[in-house]
Amino acid sequence: MTVEHFPWLTALVIFPLLAAIPIPLLPDSEGKSIRWYTLGACLAELSLILYTFANYYDLNQTGLQLVDNFAWVPQIGLNWSLAADGLSMPLVILSGLVTTLAVVASWNVTMKPRLYFSMLLLMFSAQLGVFLAQDMLMFFIMWELELVPVYLLISIWGGEKRLYAATKFILYTAIGSIFILVAALAMAFYGDNLTLNFSELAAKEYSLPMQLITYTGFLIAFGVKLPIFPFHTWLPDAHSEAPAPVSMILAGVLLKMAGYGLIRMNIEMLPDAHVYFAPVLAILGVINIVYASLAAFGQDNLKRRMAYSSVAHMGFVLIGLAAFNTLGLSGALLQMISHGLIAAVLFFLSGVAYERTHTLAMDKMGGMGKAMPVAFGMFTAGSMASLALPGMSGFVAELTVFLGFSTSDAYSTFFKAFIVILAAIGVILSPVYLLSMLRRIFFGTPGELEIPNNTSWDIKPREAFVAISLLVPIIGIGLYPKLATQTYDVKSTELANRVQNIRLAQDADHGPFYAQVLTAPELLASRLSITSIR
Amino acid sequence: MESLESLYSYAWLIPLLPLIGAAIVGVGLISYSDATSKLRTPSSVFIVSLLGMAMMMSFGIFWSQWNGHEPYSFMFEWASAGSFKLQMGYTIDHLAALMLVIVTTVAFLVMVYTDGYMAHDPGYVRFYAYLSLFSFSMLGLVLSPNLLQVYVFWELVGMCSYLLIGFWYNRKPAADACQKAFVTNRVGDFGLLLGMLGIFWATGSFDFDIMGERLTHMVEIGSLPGAIAALFAILVFMGPMAKSAQFPLHVWLPDAMEGPTPISALIHAATMVAAGVFLIGRMYPVFEEIPVAMTTIAYVGAFTAMMGATIAMTQNDIKKGLAYSTMSQLGYMVMAMGVGAYSAGLFHLMTHAYFKAMLFLGSGSVIHGMEGVVGHNPTYAQDMRLMGGLRKYMPFTAITFLIGTLAISGIPPFAGFWSKDEILGSTFQVSPLLWAIGWVTAGITAFYMFRMYFSTFEGEFRGTNDDIKESLRIEQLQRMGASLGPGAMSTHEMPQATADDDHHDDDHHHASEPHESPITMTLPLVALAVPSMLIGLVGTPFGNYFEAFISPPGEVVTVAELAKEVDLHEFYVMAGSSVAISVVGITLAVLMYVTKTIDAGAIAAKIKPLYNFSLNKWYVDDIYEVVFVQGSRKIAKVALTMDIKLVDGLVNLTGFVTLITGEGLKYLETGRAQFYALIVFGAVLGLVLLSGLT
Repeated sequence: MTVEHFPWLTALVIFPLLAAIPIPLLPDSEGKSIRWYTLGACLAELSLILYTFANYYDLNQTGLQLVDNFAWVPQIGLNWSLAADGLSMPLVILSGLVTTLAVVASWNVTMKPRLYFSMLLLMFSAQLGVFLAQDMLMFFIMWELELVPVYLLISIWGGEKRLYAATKFILYTAIGSIFILVAALAMAFYGDNLTLNFSELAAKEYSLPMQLITYTGFLIAFGVKLPIFPFHTWLPDAHSEAPAPVSMILAGVLLKMAGYGLIRMNIEMLPDAHVYFAPVLAILGVINIVYASLAAFGQDNLKRRMAYSSVAHMGFVLIGLAAFNTLGLSGALLQMISHGLIAAVLFFLSGVAYERTHTLAMDKMGGMGKAMPVAFGMFTAGSMASLALPGMSGFVAELTVFLGFSTSDAYSTFFKAFIVILAAIGVILSPVYLLSMLRRIFFGTPGELEIPNNTSWDIKPREAFVAISLLVPIIGIGLYPKLATQTYDVKSTELANRVQNIRLAQDADHGPFYAQVLTAPELLASRLSITSIR
Repeated sequence: MESLESLYSYAWLIPLLPLIGAAIVGVGLISYSDATSKLRTPSSVFIVSLLGMAMMMSFGIFWSQWNGHEPYSFMFEWASAGSFKLQMGYTIDHLAALMLVIVTTVAFLVMVYTDGYMAHDPGYVRFYAYLSLFSFSMLGLVLSPNLLQVYVFWELVGMCSYLLIGFWYNRKPAADACQKAFVTNRVGDFGLLLGMLGIFWATGSFDFDIMGERLTHMVEIGSLPGAIAALFAILVFMGPMAKSAQFPLHVWLPDAMEGPTPISALIHAATMVAAGVFLIGRMYPVFEEIPVAMTTIAYVGAFTAMMGATIAMTQNDIKKGLAYSTMSQLGYMVMAMGVGAYSAGLFHLMTHAYFKAMLFLGSGSVIHGMEGVVGHNPTYAQDMRLMGGLRKYMPFTAITFLIGTLAISGIPPFAGFWSKDEILGSTFQVSPLLWAIGWVTAGITAFYMFRMYFSTFEGEFRGTNDDIKESLRIEQLQRMGASLGPGAMSTHEMPQATADDDHHDDDHHHASEPHESPITMTLPLVALAVPSMLIGLVGTPFGNYFEAFISPPGEVVTVAELAKEVDLHEFYVMAGSSVAISVVGITLAVLMYVTKTIDAGAIAAKIKPLYNFSLNKWYVDDIYEVVFVQGSRKIAKVALTMDIKLVDGLVNLTGFVTLITGEGLKYLETGRAQFYALIVFGAVLGLVLLSGLT
């Protein structure tokens, strides 16, 4: 293949990796120059990401853009194939922002700084690789490549039970990723032509049983990562042991890789199977929401509580994906972006608290508001965002999912009501566990913990910078959602229409898959063409 | 009229000005916390003058609407997904103009008052920032053109309420109260959200008129069962139920009194809690056509009015008493909306906003005066058993409080009389039973309000009586002991929790006599006394200018037409009966608390169970504590235990079994990589074969 343009995306993926190489040679064991170096690399990468998308990405195109395609290992048909579209572009930016801020958050890492910061950079490359890969094998390699740094970061820099948590993490995700490989190879070998390219794989006409089986494989793999009940139990362990910056990336970006995978593989490549599986996704979604919210409320460990909260929020992604309309898909994508920011800020702030208190047990805390008033304010803002307060991104995302699912014409009214009501219970439960978390940490009089009588514990400028850098986009998207939605709108519309048409075609073949107990009133159909909602 | 046109096109500034104030001060507080906290006067003057500008604009808009200007609407596309668009914007019509004036005037006066009340508080600047943020949210709410935007600001005012109730965050009761308020309101919002989604599913719109029109049409042609429409309407009503503290979601409001008193006046008496009534007004096109919903609303309101009044009778904390009174008065408004007395309900909203804000600010002035004697301890400073005879020391507070008391008791010509009488009159035409509840409640209201006035301002000052203090302290300890849940404070910490809290500087020694509050506090009281006396005159049956201005959507009436409809004979009967019952209530209060002809204690002892029933707020809180609070904790623990033991265990076990099998198989093979490849290859082969066969 000839190179028609500068390979921007290749540069994006490779740059952090290259930047990691000189780290062992840097003359510094305290970590001072290393962290500045890493920060510089991350900022350069972030600027490169923004520059590339600002100048070479067209928001109005649905197809793949900035395609880079080189033969990598021709013997096994592996291509270095990268491209961006509306699904990947916002997530790449999210990944750039969260990783850069995680480096700032890691400022006080003094143990083995060389390895630590190299791992962060490696993780950066791998994340971008996952989001941008257009080749099945390359996707898988990047997916696996990202596991190694996370494993090391938890097992070396983690808390007391770090080895248990890291091992559990690697076992769960590695076993999960076997399913990716199996399903991917099955798709590659299917039919006449052997291919690993996403577009070509999507174009193949798979038989329905094949689709259902591969769909199941991907669902298990991504279900472990997202995570979906009952495969979520590694997450509380990983979060409670991981250092705060790793938690930021884990919750902020890595969970989104699974959501991305679900859309990219399950929905885009296997739409026929998605028609069958969508109700399952919706049910798993509400289980995630209600069950994880309750478990979060039962938790006394700060980071575990927030880990369960992540599980609950990912439930909305599943419900959005099941809706078969633009609103649902758009809501799911927005929820991924929004949760990436919110979870990052909350995990970061819990790290700030942990650096002072050296405990995550909420029953020992209390009355910290006086000692750290500004941190208290930011924690409150983050919690409000997480409980979907209007004016912040979480609200728009969850509202869009609710609107999408309740106006979906793929399900009986009874089923929709069932899902929507149960999901709305999450709306009651989220303030229960988040506000009681705030109350137990900051309100009241001090508990067991010795708390200084002045504000010396309060957030430092560096820390405030990280929190504000995350809160600003949260509020920005909340006030004007188009900031985020315009990055993927054409793509999600196109994809939702495609899936919806396939569903309608299937209905026409077999009759409606789901009995319509009470159809939406006639008027709605005529109005859908208007859809200007006042 | 050109200047007015530009006033409308710049109306978005009204909510935005306070937001700017809150944002600037808020950013200052975050980035230069200590420095900003010291800029007291500049911050408060800045914020108050921004709100003053908003108030001036509101007056202008009100004036123009009063003179018959067309309603004005501005919309922009806020969010979109594909071809689906959501719009936001603002609407100015009669109702919005009225609410703008109520909210800005009360907020302005409360902000002025705050300067005196919070003078010694280290959180002075933060308090102003919150107040300004609240004003933004509330003004945004009243300007909302559709249900979705109402929901947005609805939650925002709830958040401000949370922040302000928990303002003194190191007080445990405040910490509990703010969480309770938010969660209870979320329960209401759960219903509101579901109702909103349901109506949107059916009608495809969030616009009030379109929702009403289409829903009615659908029920008429039978494409939507009436029961479903009624269900949606009642779900939407859950929102107002929580926000306006209607039974069974009223429990948060009395606890919300843990917040500083200016907040109780602004948010928990005059504006935010009335938002529920406002929303019912906005949703009128939907509710009106659904009789079941209207009946539900009316009965919930009547029941709440009665319940609040019976509880207020026995409260000793002056703010708690006023809180239950607010709940009861909100019940009146909701009942009025339910029986179709749209204009009467909103009329009462307006009069109540002024006189109740004044009463609360008056109670704050009393507390401020008491704190000089008994110290900064809510247990002593707010308990009426320690007050008495304050009229001598605080003349302005006493007179304005008396005006408020007369107004709420429905004595002509004070404001409350006209609005309450209009409600009772309209209710009688719909349901004599509801009227009877409202009528009896009016009597109870007069009784407890005068009880409150007499025990606070008349008689001898009891603030220096140590015996009473001691008994109050013991009572307080017992109450806290009773409500101790798992994880709460242990008993030895209590004296500390009840002791003076350090949010005030406590270096001035305690005086033996209370003193009148500073002018920044008495001035707003006097200013509010004017509308409390006179504002009712705009809605008399002889010339009902109010109803001509605020009439249900789609109806236009003039003052002359309204005057013609009024049957003056009927008015005299209704008004006479409601004044009569109020006088009975007042007489009882006089006999019990002034002349002491009747021994209140003896009566309480005689009807002990009833007295306790009222004193303990009908035991609703205790029931909720057991059922919901402890219940949810138990369920959460079960879920967590299940997660750790069962789910985690099972998944781990599955993985373990797989590994063991793998481990066993591994020894059959020579190398790990080959084995891995083999498994993968086998699986792929199997899949391909399987799919090829079918």
